[in-house]
Amino acid sequence: MSDRSQQQSNGTTWKSIEQLAGTATGMEQGEFSGDVTSAPVFDSTVSRRGFMALVSASMALTATACRRPLQKLVPAVKSAQTVTPGLPLDYATVYAQRNVAYGALVKSREGRPIKVKGNALHGSNCGTTSSEMQASLLSLYDPDRIRRPRVNKGASSYDVAVTAIANAVNEAQAAGKKAVVLVDEHCSPSFAALMTDVTAAAPAVSFVTMPPIIADGAALANKALLGINGELVPDLGKATVIVSVDNDFLGTDKLAVHHTGRYAARRTPSIANAVMSNVIVAEAGYSLTGSNADTRVKLHPSQFEAFLAVLEHAVGVASPVGAALVGSADAATAAAAKNAASSLKAAGSQGVVLAGRHLSAKANAMALNISNALGSVGAGKVIDPAHVLPYSEAKGDAVRALLADMQSGAVHALIFGDVNPEYSADRAFRTAMAKVPFRAAINMYEDETAGARISAVSIPAAHWLESWGDAVAYDGTRTIQQPLIAPLNEGIPSLQDTIMAVAKKVNGAAFGEMTTYYDYVRSRWNAAADEAAWTKALQDGVVASATPLVSGAVVNAAAGASLASAAAPAGRVLVAMPSLALYDGRYANNGWLLELPDPVTKITWDNVALMSPGTAVGLGLAASTEPKDVIKANEHVIVVSTADGSIELPVWVQVGMADNVIATQLGYGHTFTAAQSAVGSNAYSVAGSGNTCAYTAIKNIEVVEGKRHRIATTQNHHTLDDGNGQRPVAKWVTLGDIKAKNLHSLDTHYVEAEDGKKAGRFGVPLSITSDYEYKGHRWGMVIDMSSCTGCSSCVVACQSENNIPVVGKEQVLRGREMQWIRLDRYYVGDMDNPHSVVEPMLCQHCENAPCENVCPVAATTHSPEGLNEMTYNRCVGTRYCLNNCPYKVRRFNFLNYHTDQRSPLDLVFNPDVTNRMRGVMEKCTFCVQRLHEAKYHAKDQGRSRVNDGEAITACQEACPASAIIFGDMNDPNSRVSKMRSNERSFVVLPELNVRPSVTYLAKVQNAAATPATNGHHS
Amino acid sequence: MMHELEPVREPLVLGNPSMRDVTARIASIVESKISLKYLLTLGFTATMAAWGLFALYYTITTGIGAWGLNNPIGWGWDITNFVFWIGIGHAGTLISAILFLWRQKWRTAINRSAEAMTIFAVICALTMVLSHTGRPWLFYWLLPYPNQMQMWINFRSPLAWDVFAVNTYFTVSALFWFVGLIPDLATLRNYVRSEIAKKIYGVLSLGWTGSTRHWHHYEIAYMILAGISTPLVLSVHSVVSFDFTVGIMPGWHTTIFPPYFVAGAIFSGFAMVMTLLIIAREILDLKQFITLKHLDNMNKIMLATGMMVGYAYGMEFFIAWYSGSDWENWIFQNRLFGDYAWAYWTMVTCNVVSPQVFWFRKLRRNIPLMFVISIFINIGMWFERFTIIATTLHHDFLPASWGYYSPTWVEISIFIGTFGIFLTLFLLFAKFVPVIAIAEIKSILPGAQPAHHHGHDEHAATSSTTSAEVHS
Repeated sequence: MSDRSQQQSNGTTWKSIEQLAGTATGMEQGEFSGDVTSAPVFDSTVSRRGFMALVSASMALTATACRRPLQKLVPAVKSAQTVTPGLPLDYATVYAQRNVAYGALVKSREGRPIKVKGNALHGSNCGTTSSEMQASLLSLYDPDRIRRPRVNKGASSYDVAVTAIANAVNEAQAAGKKAVVLVDEHCSPSFAALMTDVTAAAPAVSFVTMPPIIADGAALANKALLGINGELVPDLGKATVIVSVDNDFLGTDKLAVHHTGRYAARRTPSIANAVMSNVIVAEAGYSLTGSNADTRVKLHPSQFEAFLAVLEHAVGVASPVGAALVGSADAATAAAAKNAASSLKAAGSQGVVLAGRHLSAKANAMALNISNALGSVGAGKVIDPAHVLPYSEAKGDAVRALLADMQSGAVHALIFGDVNPEYSADRAFRTAMAKVPFRAAINMYEDETAGARISAVSIPAAHWLESWGDAVAYDGTRTIQQPLIAPLNEGIPSLQDTIMAVAKKVNGAAFGEMTTYYDYVRSRWNAAADEAAWTKALQDGVVASATPLVSGAVVNAAAGASLASAAAPAGRVLVAMPSLALYDGRYANNGWLLELPDPVTKITWDNVALMSPGTAVGLGLAASTEPKDVIKANEHVIVVSTADGSIELPVWVQVGMADNVIATQLGYGHTFTAAQSAVGSNAYSVAGSGNTCAYTAIKNIEVVEGKRHRIATTQNHHTLDDGNGQRPVAKWVTLGDIKAKNLHSLDTHYVEAEDGKKAGRFGVPLSITSDYEYKGHRWGMVIDMSSCTGCSSCVVACQSENNIPVVGKEQVLRGREMQWIRLDRYYVGDMDNPHSVVEPMLCQHCENAPCENVCPVAATTHSPEGLNEMTYNRCVGTRYCLNNCPYKVRRFNFLNYHTDQRSPLDLVFNPDVTNRMRGVMEKCTFCVQRLHEAKYHAKDQGRSRVNDGEAITACQEACPASAIIFGDMNDPNSRVSKMRSNERSFVVLPELNVRPSVTYLAKVQNAAATPATNGHHS
Repeated sequence: MMHELEPVREPLVLGNPSMRDVTARIASIVESKISLKYLLTLGFTATMAAWGLFALYYTITTGIGAWGLNNPIGWGWDITNFVFWIGIGHAGTLISAILFLWRQKWRTAINRSAEAMTIFAVICALTMVLSHTGRPWLFYWLLPYPNQMQMWINFRSPLAWDVFAVNTYFTVSALFWFVGLIPDLATLRNYVRSEIAKKIYGVLSLGWTGSTRHWHHYEIAYMILAGISTPLVLSVHSVVSFDFTVGIMPGWHTTIFPPYFVAGAIFSGFAMVMTLLIIAREILDLKQFITLKHLDNMNKIMLATGMMVGYAYGMEFFIAWYSGSDWENWIFQNRLFGDYAWAYWTMVTCNVVSPQVFWFRKLRRNIPLMFVISIFINIGMWFERFTIIATTLHHDFLPASWGYYSPTWVEISIFIGTFGIFLTLFLLFAKFVPVIAIAEIKSILPGAQPAHHHGHDEHAATSSTTSAEVHS
C-alpha cells in the first residue's frame, strides 16, 4: 500500500492526519468519490471498483493459465475458433509412435490438454484410439519428468548443456571419430530430413535408429521377396480367412488399432448376411489375437516354421520357400496346417497368412509366399506392397555396426535421443556403450540411460503434446504434429529442437535462418508460405496423399528360398513379448497403463512368467493339471536363465499355452527412482540380441523356495476353478447357429414380436405399477461382443474422461480398483485350449435398478432420461447399493485416492467431472457430462432433442472395433434402437427383472452349429 | 438344592430370605466398597473399549479403506457386528416384556440385567452402524428432518427402516428399563449413606414415595411399556433382516429371514445373558436369587430357539433347491463347500449341534457346561451373520467380479472395542444399579403370595406391592 497515489490524485488537499500518515482506509469516502476512482487500480488501497477490476483481470488470466506455445495453434474445424473460457477446444494433431501415425484430436480446456481422442479423418485409426495413445496424456503431467538440464552432477542451463554436447561433437569431428545419435523408430518425414541435414552440416554426426524392440523378420523377408525393406500393412477388412502364426495383430502389433477396426468389421454376421471372417491362430502363448481366434492351434515355437512349410505345401504353392522344412513338422502340426490350408484355398485371394515380425525372415517369407500364391498380394489386395510402415526398415545391421564401432573405439560421443538402451539393450551393447568417452541423453525421464551414471549431460525431451513435428502414415496420409501446450519442464523444447541447436553450435551455417524445429517443419510443409493451406492442414489434422500410393513390387519366391531357417529351439523356451499395457516400457511410469488389467491375464502392476498348466506341473509347482492344483502354482517365484541372462519372475498359469514355453512381458522393471515404474522385472535382460522377442532356450529354471510374489489381478478368484456351474451370462453362438437360425439360447426372456423378431421387451412383467413413460430421451447402449476384442482402450478412455483415480497395486490386491468399465473375460471350452469371450461390464442403468431402492438417503436415483444417477454430494457411503448390484459395477472410494496427486498431475482432470472424495460411491454415468453438452448444443440450435450420434460416450468414442453403440432408445430410428432388436441381442441376468439399458450382442465364433449348451467357465 | 418334599415347584428364591434380607443383599452391592478386583476388571474392559474407539477414530480419519472390504464385498465385520449386537439385545426385551405378560415369575431375577444388556448391546450396535458408512459425519442425513435442501430420506430403503427400528428399540428399551428401576432407585436412595449418592438416586427416583397411588401408576405404566415392547421383540430383528431380504442377492432374498432372525436373536441374546449371569451370580454371590431353575429355564429356551434356527438352516437349503433358481442353489452349495465353508460349519456346530446337550436335565443344570455352550452359541451366532453376508457377497452372479474378504486389525479392534464398551457399561451397571429388581423379587419370595402358605407367614402377610416400599 502506498499513499503516493492518493497524494498524487488528491493534489495538495488532504482530509485527515491519518491520510497523510498513510493509514487511512478510505472507507469513509463515498463509493464514487473522485479521489478514489481516479487512483490507479493496482497501486492503491483496493477499492471496490479496483477489486472488481482485479478480479476480472485474474479471471481473464485463469482462462489462459497454462502456457500455450508461442506459435499460432489452429483448432479443429468443428469447434469454435477462439478460446472461450469454460468451453473446450479440440486441436488436431498426431500421435506418432514407432512407425505408426494415429490422428489425434486433443481436447483442451483453458490451455491444458485433458483428453486424447482419435481424429476421424485419419485412416489409420478412423477416430478411435489405443489405450497407450490416451494414457500418454497422463505422462505429459508426470511429476517425475526431468525438469531441467544437467551437466555432470549439477543442474545447468539449456545453453550450457547444448554447448557441452556440441563440444563433444566437435571433439569427435577433430579426432575423426563419430558422434552417434541414437533415436527411436519414428514415422516423421521432417525428422528423417532433419537427420540428413544434420549429418550434412556436421559430418561427424550420424544417426542410428534403435527402438527398444528389434524384430526384423518381416522387413528382411519383404526386402528379399519384394525388394521392400519394411513392414507391410495388410488390410484385414479384405480378408475372409486369416491365418496368423504368432502374429498378434489385435494386441501387440504396432498398428493394432487399425487392424482391430478392419477385423471387427467382418465379425458381425446376421441371419440375413451370415458371413464372417475365419481367424486361425497358431501360437505358443495366449495372445489377445489367439483369445479371439475361431481356431487356435497350440504350437511349440520350434514348430512354427514347420507349420508354415506344411501350409505352403498344402496350399500348393508353385515355388515354395520352405520346402526343406516340411519334414520337420510333427503329426499334430501337419494336421493343423492342412486344415488351415483347406480354409485358405477356399478363400483364395481373400485368404492371408501373417507371421509375427519377431519370427525368422524365413517364416515371414513363407507367409508372404503363401499369401502371394493365394493371390492376396498386389495392388488393392489384402497385402498391398504400397502399404508399408514408414521407416520400418530392418534395424539389426545398423545396430550391430554401431556396436562394432563402439567396441573399436570409433565412437567418441553417444547422444541418446529419447531412447533408453541402458534399460532395453543387450549386455554386449551396454558394455560397449560404457566405453564411449562422451554420453548425453535427451530423454523425458532421468531413467537408466539419462541418469548421471551413464550420461554426463542430460537435457529433458518434450512430450509429444508439447512438440511440433509431423508424421506420415502407411497409406501416405500426412499429418502435422501440433503442440497443445508449451513444454512444462522449464520450457525446454523438443528433441528435434535440441538436435538443431547442437547442430547450429557445431556449424553456425546449419539451417540458415531457421532456429526452431517448428520453422523447419513449416518450411518443409509449406515452402510457399501459404498461410491458408497451413491453417487448413492444422485444422483437419490430415493431408491425404496427393495420389494413392502404388507399388509394382512382385514377390520373388526364389529369393526367399535362400533365406536361412531359424526355428526356435526345442525344449523349454522363454520369450519376452511387448506388454499389452505398457508395450515396450516407454510409458512405464504411467499409472493408467500400469493399472490397466492385461486383457488376457487381468494382471495389473506386474509382469509375470506365463506358462501352461503342464509346464507348471513339469516344474513341480503343481501336483496335477487339475484346476485346484494348478492355481497353487501361481505367485511362486522362479529364476529363469538363458544364455543372455536371468530374470526373476512370479509364476502365473495361463491356460491355452503350449507346454514348455514361458512368456513374459517387456516394459516392466525399470530401476530409476520414479516410484511407479519400479514394478516387475526387466525382461529385456533375457531378450535375444538382434531379435528382442525371439524364443530363446532356457538353460535353467530355479524355483525360489518359500518366496511368494503377490500378483494383483482384477479377476482373480477361481479363474480356473470349474466348480461354479455353467452360468449363461456371457453368451456366444457360432456361425453355424446363425445359419441354422438357431439363436434361442439368447432370448429366453424376451417377448416375441409378431414378426418373429425380438420386441426388445422382457418377458417378465412382474410389476404392479405401470412402466414409467419416457417422453424425451431414454439413453441406452448396445455392446457387440463379437466385435470387441478386449483391447481395453475403453477402460483408459473412461479413466481419462471421468477422473478415475489410480489406486496402486496394494489397493488392487485388496480388490479396490476403480475403473468404471471392466472387461470380464470368460473362457469357453476345455482348459487345454479354450476360447475366450470378453464381456465389457459397466453400469447397466437398470430400469428397475436394485441399487436405487436400497439407498437410505436417495443418493442414487433414476433420471427422466433413464440414467441411473449417482449424486456424490448426497452419498453417505453405506455401500448397500454396491452389495445389491448384481453386476457389481459400483465402485466405492475406500480412501481419498485423489488427494495424493503430485503437481502437476492434477492438471489432467476433466473439469466437467467432479472428483470424488473418500466414502462416496461412484460408477459409470453414461458420460452424463457429454449428454448435457450435447443437449446444450441442441438447445442452442433450437432443437428439443439430441440427434442420433451427437451424444457419444468416451468408451464408444475410443473403441477401435466400434463395438459400443450409444444413443436414444426412445428414438425408433436411432442406431441403438435398431441394434437392440438385433437377433443376437441379449441382456445379462434378464431373469432378475432389473431391465438393464445395456444390451449385448452375442459373440460369434466361426464354427459349425453347436449343441444348445452355451456354457462357459469362468 | 431341591426341596425333597416339594417335587411340584421349586422355589424361585432360595434360603427363605426376609424382605429386608433381600433389600440388604442387593443394595449392599451398591453400598459396599469398590474392590481392587473390580477396578482391575473395569480397567481391562475400559482399555478394550478405548482400543476399539481408537480403531474407530482411525477408520473415520482414514476411510473405510482401513478395513478389509473391497469391491464385491461392501459389508463385512461391520454389519455382522451390528446384527450380532442387535440380536444380543433381544433376550432382554423378551424377558422383560413377553415373559412379563405371560406372568413368568422366574423372569424377575434376571430381567433387570437382561434389560441392561439390551441397552448396552443396542449402544454397541449403534456404534457399528454409525461408523460403517463412508462419511459417518453425515449420519444425520439418515434421519428424516426438514432441511433447506428439501431432501428426505428414501423411505423405500430397508436401511431407513433400520434407523426407525433401532431408534425405537433403543428408546423403548431405555424407558422400560428406567421405569422398572424407579422403585429400586428409591430403595437405594433410602439405603445409601453417602449424601451425594442419595442426591443422585433421589433425583433419578423421581420423587417415588411408594404410595399406593405411585404403585398404581407404576404398574399401569409398566404394563403399557411391556405391551409396546412386545411387538418390538418381533419387529426389530425382522426389520434388520429386511436389509438382506429386500436385496436381490442369492442367499439374501428369502422370505424365511424375519422369523429366522428373530429366533436367532433370542437364541443369541439368551446365550449372552447366560454367559454374563453365570459370572455375575458367582462374583456378586447371587445364587440365592438366580437359581439353577432360572438357568434351566433359559437353557430350555436356548434349546428351543436353537432348534428353530437349525430348522431355518435346513429350510433355506430346501427352498434353494425347490425354487429352481440356479443362483440360489449354487450359493448354498458354496456355503457348504466354498471359500467360507469353515465359517458355515463353525456356525452349524455351535448353533445346532452344541445346544442339543440341553435335552438332558442334568446337563441343563451343569454350570460349567452351560457356560461353555453359551459361549459357543455366541460364536455361532456371530458366524451366522458373517456367513450370510460374506458368502453371498463374495460370489454372486458374475464370476468375473468375485472376490474374497478378510478383516484387518482395525475391524477386529473395533469388534473387541464393542465388547469393551458392552462389558464396561455392564460392570458400571452391576456396581451402581440394583442388578436384581428388588421390588419384583420380593413378589416371588416363598410366601409372598397370600394364596400360598409355606409356613413363613410373617412374610406372607404383606402384599408384594406394599412390601417393596421402604427399608430405611
